[in-house]
Amino acid sequence: MKELLQNIKEAVINGDEDNTRRLVEEGLQEDMEPRQILEEAMMPAMEEIGERFSRNEAFIPELIIAAAAMQEGMEVLKPRFSGDDSGSGLVMLGTVAGDIHSIGKNLVRMCMEGAGFDVMDIGEDIKTERFVEEYRANKPDILGLSALLSSTMQLMPEVIEAVKAVDPSALIMVGGAPITQEYADKIGASGYAPNAFEAAHKARELLA
Amino acid sequence: MTGRERMLEAFALREPDRVPVWEMAFNEESIIKLGRFFTDDVPPMKFVQQMTPEEKLKLLSTLFTVVRELELDGITAITLLATEPVDDDHVKDGWGRILRVSEEGEATAVGGPVSEPGDLKGLKPYHPQQGDFLMLMAAKGNFGDDIAQVLIQPGPFRVCWSLLGSMEKLLYYYMKNPAFVKDLSRVATDYILEVMDAAFEAGADIIAMDGDLAFSQTTLMSPAQYEEYILPYQKEINEHVHSKGKLIFKHSDGNMWPIMDGIVEAGYDGFHPLQPQCMDIGDFKQRYGDHLCMLGNIDCTYLLPFGSEEEVEQTVKETIAVAAPGGGFIISSSNSIHPGCKPENYIAMVKAARKYGEYPIGS
Repeated sequence: MKELLQNIKEAVINGDEDNTRRLVEEGLQEDMEPRQILEEAMMPAMEEIGERFSRNEAFIPELIIAAAAMQEGMEVLKPRFSGDDSGSGLVMLGTVAGDIHSIGKNLVRMCMEGAGFDVMDIGEDIKTERFVEEYRANKPDILGLSALLSSTMQLMPEVIEAVKAVDPSALIMVGGAPITQEYADKIGASGYAPNAFEAAHKARELLA
Repeated sequence: MTGRERMLEAFALREPDRVPVWEMAFNEESIIKLGRFFTDDVPPMKFVQQMTPEEKLKLLSTLFTVVRELELDGITAITLLATEPVDDDHVKDGWGRILRVSEEGEATAVGGPVSEPGDLKGLKPYHPQQGDFLMLMAAKGNFGDDIAQVLIQPGPFRVCWSLLGSMEKLLYYYMKNPAFVKDLSRVATDYILEVMDAAFEAGADIIAMDGDLAFSQTTLMSPAQYEEYILPYQKEINEHVHSKGKLIFKHSDGNMWPIMDGIVEAGYDGFHPLQPQCMDIGDFKQRYGDHLCMLGNIDCTYLLPFGSEEEVEQTVKETIAVAAPGGGFIISSSNSIHPGCKPENYIAMVKAARKYGEYPIGS
């Protein structure tokens, strides 16, 4: 069993989508628990990619293929989770109004999924009212706001205020090129991370 | 010296009479706000895709007024590929790329004619049309050789991902299908070479090779991936540009340190915009100042949007003191004058460059 988990981990790290799917199916046939496969093979694989990333041994292409393999494995695992198994939690992501940039948010999505979160990506150029509507309708555990421009980041306080008016305990993370910890503190965000891997760590920390 | 001579002298890594001032781009809103300092005849505030042809012309003439009044040493044109509307937020260009338009910046490809490797065979290359260079021709007609004519052209990396409609997709194929990435890069490079020839015909002196290869922490791809998938094509383009007696510099935001040796090897004449958050201009001058003209470095993330005019002046003074001695420095913002930048601060930046930029520096 240990060897199979190790092989799944390797397949995800190598971005081998076909092998990931095959090995996850094999694990389930051997009566492994879906959550065990996720937590002992797939999530550690993404952690490993994150560590390589921080050492400049892996770059975005390596992250992208690992995330693709992770997704392939999740397609097999997801239907097997029991109804009350909510995983690590639900993260909702969106880029604020006026900002059409998607890559930073998409990388955060990959890393959040890699950390076992369910992710709902509501897209780019999202108006404040839409963030509030989606928050109300889906009640995410964490809302993540992205902005690439120093002009659009100025909309973040408005979104935070509007969502907190609906749910004062809402956990709202912010990120993107112009954002700093200082800015996140100033606008009352619950969390900030300088890159996608650390965003996933921060999200887990906030929900711990 | 004329502005053009000043810019060319800086690219030759020599001291002109004063530090040249130039800008990579101004958004519509920035042009209009800056234009109001000099004229009442500005177009209504909307983004270019929503303007009538008359309003577009007025926007261009407002830009020319700003460049003339501020005595900038160069002007930057973009290629204006004809597009047809898809819906309120999207247009389609001659390659079949679907572009999402935005009031906060340039249109970005969100869909391409090549969605998987098999599509490449059927791809009908787009060939540059004279109309694509209307902005460059208008700038040349207006300013002649008084100031440098710069044309922005996306480089092979950006053209490749725009044909796929997604950068993530291209980076995925870096790992999964190297042959396809090289075939796609060939198509992109052939197109870029055609654009170069047409641009020089239309009057361009300098090419700004656009397309970010880095973000604030590091490069998007590893140095090895850069050397395999990008560098050879950049080298080919740069050799072509030099064979025509023209200049070319690389633009990329972010922390480009890991691949800067490659940028030199590719044969670029300069590098822009030296984002101050991750590229120290003093270090850069020491390491690459003998090879590359430095362009940029005045922060447009915090300083120009939120700083005071006094802070802008101080930063310009300090930057010139570090970067300008010996030549090889052209001052500009650290990306572009976007709608978040205060127009007063941009004007303060230009004035400070004049005040502190006379050679010899510090005299």
